[in-house]
Amino acid sequence: MSSIKKDWWKWLGVLILTLVILIGLLVPLNPGITQVSPSNAASGTTVSVSANGYNTFFTSAKSIRAWLKLAGDHALGAKSQEIISDNEIIFTFDLPQSLPVDQLYAETALVIDSDIDGAFVRPFALSINQKEVNVELGEQAWSVDKIHELTETNHFRYPFRNILVETIRNTYFHVPLWFGMILLFLGSVIHSIKFLRKPDELSDQKAVGFVSAGVLFGIMGLVTGAIWAKFPWGAFWSWDVKQNMSAICMLIYAAYFVLRQSMTDQDRRARVSAVYNLFAFMAMIPLLFVIPRLTESLHPGNGGNPALGGEDLDNTMRMIFYPAIIGWTLLGVWMAQLKWRTLRIESRLRE
Amino acid sequence: MKKRLFGLAAFLLYTLPMMAQGSTDDFFRSTGKLYVVVAAILAIFIGIVIYLYNLDRKIKNLEKQIKNE
Repeated sequence: MSSIKKDWWKWLGVLILTLVILIGLLVPLNPGITQVSPSNAASGTTVSVSANGYNTFFTSAKSIRAWLKLAGDHALGAKSQEIISDNEIIFTFDLPQSLPVDQLYAETALVIDSDIDGAFVRPFALSINQKEVNVELGEQAWSVDKIHELTETNHFRYPFRNILVETIRNTYFHVPLWFGMILLFLGSVIHSIKFLRKPDELSDQKAVGFVSAGVLFGIMGLVTGAIWAKFPWGAFWSWDVKQNMSAICMLIYAAYFVLRQSMTDQDRRARVSAVYNLFAFMAMIPLLFVIPRLTESLHPGNGGNPALGGEDLDNTMRMIFYPAIIGWTLLGVWMAQLKWRTLRIESRLRE
Repeated sequence: MKKRLFGLAAFLLYTLPMMAQGSTDDFFRSTGKLYVVVAAILAIFIGIVIYLYNLDRKIKNLEKQIKNE
């Protein structure tokens, strides 16, 4: 019983991670549109647009409305609709002769509103070509229908993102591993500083434990990142700046172990590796937080992309994401602790 | 140890040709690419197992030392 009281944080970590895996995998995504065909049409014609829904329930909906939406307030309602299945529906639009834009084509988004699924949008669904520009006529024709009274749903759902789809759930596994790694390295640096101020074997062992768990987290972060990248980005390794910099960071930390193995004198080894650990942590900060922000990157939060925010991490996801960071970090501390306890026994036996 | 290595080799021999083909691509793209998430969780699990295995080896050495004393 006493071990449960003392090691409460280990069980807390396991509990959080169990919930993160369960809730992270079981909560469905919001409905969305995966495909629209055709992708272009000529103005002045009647066009039947077929839309493939994801997590939609078209057959059980009492009312479904749809619009083609142009930039600004311009919209065009569907004339009729034909429900094929829960995931497929065909809308018919009477495209007006003119578009309210000063060019020969315009991109429209398809907005669908159903009383069961709520409202959802497919951007750049249908592009419309016109032969002549007549902004005034276009303004009139595209101002008749208004998008109004959209259904608001209150479901606990993760956002539907076009290319990511279900892989958005990796936010609870790939991203917190990196947060956990940084916290583990921070723990290691604290023990290295402690050691440099007051040499003591336990601080050195703790620093080693934290670094080994941190390196494992970093490698798992690289692997999960590569698996995730294959599908939205197209390749396991895209030579993205953040991928490269985190790989370099892992190499710097791998050298920490090489350095330790190269020295036999215990005191010297502890002192040199503590100083090296400080250097490695200082090197990690610009590698992971500064350089990726300066250039183009595929990662969100870098190269001008919005950081953790927007639709990539909405409030629903935050409720799982932040606990996931705590859970993975606690698991990492547990793994670090097992390591340094082993090292401690090893050094006792040596004496 | 040999048995373990054999198991790993068999696993790789079984999965590597699958990864080379396009059919796994379709598999990973099915049902909204959910299997990408499963693969990531599996990778984390394997990482933790490797860590435990290394620790296990270290502790085994210590146990041997205690026995010899």
